[in-house]
Amino acid sequence: MEDLLKPDFGVLVLTVCNFLLLVYLLKKFAWGPIIGALEKRENQIAADKQTAADARQSAEQLKQELDKRLAQISDEAAHKMAQAVKAGEMQKEQLLAQAKEQAQRLLEQTKAQIEAEKNKALQEVRREIASISLLAASRVVERQVKDDTADQIIAHVLQEVEDKK
Amino acid sequence: MDVAETISHHILDHDWGVVLGGVRIPVTTHSVTIFVVSVLLVLGLAWAARKHTSRGGNLVSVLMEEYVSFIRGGIVLPNMGPEGRAMLPYFCTLFLFILCVNLAGMIPQMKTATSNISVTAALALCSGALIVGSGIKFHGVIGFLKGFIPSGTPGWLVPLMFPLEIMSLLIKVCVLAIRLFANMLAGHIALLCLLLLVFIVAELSKVASIGALIPAMVLELFVTCLELLVAFLQAYVFTLLTAIFAGSVIHTH
Repeated sequence: MEDLLKPDFGVLVLTVCNFLLLVYLLKKFAWGPIIGALEKRENQIAADKQTAADARQSAEQLKQELDKRLAQISDEAAHKMAQAVKAGEMQKEQLLAQAKEQAQRLLEQTKAQIEAEKNKALQEVRREIASISLLAASRVVERQVKDDTADQIIAHVLQEVEDKK
Repeated sequence: MDVAETISHHILDHDWGVVLGGVRIPVTTHSVTIFVVSVLLVLGLAWAARKHTSRGGNLVSVLMEEYVSFIRGGIVLPNMGPEGRAMLPYFCTLFLFILCVNLAGMIPQMKTATSNISVTAALALCSGALIVGSGIKFHGVIGFLKGFIPSGTPGWLVPLMFPLEIMSLLIKVCVLAIRLFANMLAGHIALLCLLLLVFIVAELSKVASIGALIPAMVLELFVTCLELLVAFLQAYVFTLLTAIFAGSVIHTH
C-alpha cells in the first residue's frame, strides 16, 4: 500500500509531456477555431448592439427635433390664427364704421335734398300764389287801384301766407 | 484473503516493463489510459471543431460553445479577469482532460489515472508553471517576487514573510495534486471495499454472503454515483483553484 504514495518520475514526466502536447494540439485544432468564432460572433453582436443603440439615439434625437418643429409650427399657426382673427375684427370694425358713415352721409344728403326740394316747392308755391293773387286782385280791382297800392296789397297777402305756413 | 493486497493490485499502476536501449519507458496502465484519453480527445474535439460553423447551429457546435463559455465565464474571467483570455485553451483542456481521466476508470479495462500521485503531481506542476508564468508575464520577475510581500509589511518581517509566501505557493500547488489524488483514490477504495465485503463474508459463510450481496450492491451503486459526481466536482475544483491562484498572482493587492 505504501507504493500508492511513491511517485513514478517516468510517469510524471510522460504525463507532463502528454498534457502539454494535448494543450497545444487542442488549442490548434479545437479551442482556437471555436474561441475565435465565438469571439467573432460576440464582437459582431456587440457591434450590432452598438449600431442599434446609435440608431435608437439618432431616432430619438430626430423625434425630439420633429416634436420641437411641430410645436413651433403649432405656435406659428396659433399666432397666425390670432392675427387673422384680429385683422378680421379690425376689418369688421372698419366696414361697420364706413357703413355708418355712409349711411349718415346719405341721410344728410337726403335731408338736404328734401330741404332744397321743399324750399324750391315753397318758392314755386309762393310765386304761384303771388301770380294767382295778383291775377285775382288785378281782376277784382283792375279799374281804379294804383300800382303802389297793388304792391302793398300783394306784400300784405304774401305776409299772411308766410304766417300761415 | 489479503484485502490490502487485492486493493493495491486493483488501484496501483502496473508497469508493462518496456525497455528501449536499456532505458525504461514508463509504459504503465495509467500512462496508457492517459494516452488513449488524449488521443480520443484530440480526434473527437478536432472533428467537432471541423463540424463547427461560425453561425453555430448544430448540436456539437452548441455544446462546444457552451462548454467554452462555461469555462470562460464561470472560471477564467471571474478569477483572472481579461488577462486570463489568453490562457483559456489551457483551462478548457485541463477541465476536460481531468474529467475524462476521472471517468475513464468507469470503463472496463481502463484505470482512473488521477488516482496516481504522479499523474496529479504532473498536472499540478503544469498548473504551478502556469501560475508562476502568469505572474512573471504580467509583473516581470522582480514584480512577481515583490508580490509575495504584502504591502505595508514592516522591513524586519520581510525575510520571514518571503519564504513563507513562497512555501504557501508551493503548498497550494501540492494541495492541488493531493486533493485530486486523494478524492479519486478514496472513491476507488470505497468501491473495492464494498465489493470485497461480499467475498470476505463468503469466506465465513456462503449463505451470509448471499445476504450481504444485495446491500453491498446497493451501496456499490450509490458510491459509483457518488464517484461520478466527484469526478465532475474534482475536475471543476482543480480548474477553479488553478484559475484562482493564477488570478491572485496577476492581481496582487
